[in-house]
Amino acid sequence: MAAKAMAGALGRAMLQRGWSLVSTRESGSSLRTQHVLYRAMGIGGIPTDEEQATGIEKMIMQAMKTGKDPFNMLKPKEYAGTKDDPHIVPSVTNKRLVGCVCEEDNTAVIWFWLHEGDAQRCPSCGAHYQLVPHHH
Amino acid sequence: MAHQAHAFHMVDPSPWPLTGATAALLMTSGLAIWFHFHTLTLLYLGLALLLLTMIQWWRDIIREGTFQGHHTPPVQKGLRYGMILFITSEVFFFLGFFWAFYHSSLAPTPELGGCWPPTGILPLDPFEVPLLNTAVLLASGVTVTWAHHSIMEGNRKEAIQALTLTIMLGFYFTALQAMEYYEAPFTIADGVYGTTFYVATGFHGLHVIIGSTFLAICLLRQIQYHFTSEHHFGFEAAAWYWHFVDVVWLFLYVSIYWWGS
Repeated sequence: MAAKAMAGALGRAMLQRGWSLVSTRESGSSLRTQHVLYRAMGIGGIPTDEEQATGIEKMIMQAMKTGKDPFNMLKPKEYAGTKDDPHIVPSVTNKRLVGCVCEEDNTAVIWFWLHEGDAQRCPSCGAHYQLVPHHH
Repeated sequence: MAHQAHAFHMVDPSPWPLTGATAALLMTSGLAIWFHFHTLTLLYLGLALLLLTMIQWWRDIIREGTFQGHHTPPVQKGLRYGMILFITSEVFFFLGFFWAFYHSSLAPTPELGGCWPPTGILPLDPFEVPLLNTAVLLASGVTVTWAHHSIMEGNRKEAIQALTLTIMLGFYFTALQAMEYYEAPFTIADGVYGTTFYVATGFHGLHVIIGSTFLAICLLRQIQYHFTSEHHFGFEAAAWYWHFVDVVWLFLYVSIYWWGS
């Protein structure tokens, strides 16, 4: 049963990340197969990023695992832009330049500085933007 | 921790671009001096400086990427673009020689006897060593793909075996081609046939040697645990280059060896 569960993508992903399947049988009971964490060096011999990544590559990898994107590598999330659901703008300092494309395909981008504190509104379309500073 | 607010790599100041440019200067002027004054000193100096530049520059890249972790996803993406663009430029390089070949062979001039192969030229039998060479390179394409899958699956032993086999096949091709060059009944000086044949296959052979060297570096790095199952772009770049070398051979074989005989 466990073996069937591990045959899928999750099983492969776990095996890639240093988990290994170990079967044990205690006297009198049936076979028990469970996952044990080994370093990939122990099974295949090639390390994984999990084990060996270093520096800023590692920092980014670990941040992305928790859903964070400290260097804005991904597309910004979509928000309604209303007072209750403002556009969240992450920043490394207490202000950041925002360029608002008020309507799709607008060629005139509305640029303004977004400061720490209360949400500000785009001077053209009124969409709400909220700065969220976070320091490394 | 990181003292930068972005995921890119601002490279530390490096002397290798300057030494590389100096090497280029010494090699070009060295070639001219060799032509006119029959002395190879300047050329050798340039080649030595080039070799040292390549070793140290690429060594630094390995240090920055593998040991210092500067090769984040956007940086790696840039490296991929770079390798693709470089290989594309090499494709155009070879396109020129194919153009020259077809220009001369599609409408052979009266001086050649109005035929191709030209009068007096004994072309190599495409179904002898050239066909073996084709099989060798195609097989090496398979083994390099095997090596890649081994790396991705975390299988160290097979990765090393497959990569070693690929390099051995590359050497086998080079050895066979060297023997062919030695034994061939025509030389580079034998009219436009000799020119197009040896310049095109010669540059290809040089690229086989370059590709084999790149793969050999990857083998050394793989043995030293540089590659992870997810991040091994140096190997991927070498594999792309190797496939490119293979494809160029296929075009050479069909055009020059087969159709051209």
